[in-house]
Amino acid sequence: MKRALVTGASGAIGAAICRELAAQGRHVIAHAGARGEAVERLAEELRAAGHSAEAIAFDVTDADRARACLARLAEHAPIQIVVSNAGLYRDAPLPGMSPAQWREVVEVNLNGFFNVTQPLLLPMIATRWGRVVAVSSVAALIGNRGQANYAAAKAGLHGAIKSLALELATRGVTANVVAPGVIDTPILGGAFPPERIKSLVPMQRPGTPEEVAALVGFLASERAGYITGQVIAVSGGLG
Amino acid sequence: MPPDSATQANAPPAADLSSDELELARLIVSALNLETAPEAIAPEEPLYGEGLGLDSIDILEMSLAISKTYGVELRSDDPENERIFRSLRSLNAYVQARRAR
Repeated sequence: MKRALVTGASGAIGAAICRELAAQGRHVIAHAGARGEAVERLAEELRAAGHSAEAIAFDVTDADRARACLARLAEHAPIQIVVSNAGLYRDAPLPGMSPAQWREVVEVNLNGFFNVTQPLLLPMIATRWGRVVAVSSVAALIGNRGQANYAAAKAGLHGAIKSLALELATRGVTANVVAPGVIDTPILGGAFPPERIKSLVPMQRPGTPEEVAALVGFLASERAGYITGQVIAVSGGLG
Repeated sequence: MPPDSATQANAPPAADLSSDELELARLIVSALNLETAPEAIAPEEPLYGEGLGLDSIDILEMSLAISKTYGVELRSDDPENERIFRSLRSLNAYVQARRAR
């Protein structure tokens, strides 16, 4: 049974990805930074449904702790699917953005990807089968007012993933980016009232977490073995 | 006159692998899933690029396998790496000199 780590699984998209991978028969390791209880409950829900799942909590920006937790997880068997989904936003127009807002968002979204993915790569490569999926955002493709930090960090994932894809192409490991658009989750809050969505999104509706998870699940599957180094948006035509 | 057996006894002919070199070659072939037969690796041929055609990630994997098997640490930032990894023979010499016995 292949093992899949999904970071940021306490969020709506992360949880949907966990459900999708569990349904595919993977052993799912649901990660949260601070919201450990939420992923414990998610893991219980998945096990109650007959799937294989566990929860783990650590701060993705703490490189040493991440490495230690991942080493323990991988002791059992290498983790062959990594979905780097943990994210954070601290919106502000750039002229008014604080250094802390810039730094925190880059730390979690971009450095967090490195801290979680890098330690898992050599063991994954040794199995000659792997899937790395980074969750980005359409903001990284087309920009978004108030999200220069978020867009920068997420766009950084694109360069990293494309390079990684080239490095691992001969070793059975693919690396791709999924860029969600406006997705109906609690994070949206009041920022996207229906009129705004109608004028912004060609399909005139938000997407669902399941629609994002469906693409992640496909990219993580055996059938997507010839797709690598790609950035694919799930955004109803936006961007 | 027959060759002086004392000078010939310890040095294998340059193109053949010593038993240590063969053992290392087997480790490399298995760790990297290479299609080459270990016996077919020429001891002086380049590991990187032409010759065996390995890339930087192969070197990483090889270093991990060597560390596990021989207890010899190879660091990716060692300035001597170009010399150490030049050929199977040079890599083996490095490993044999430092292995935990």
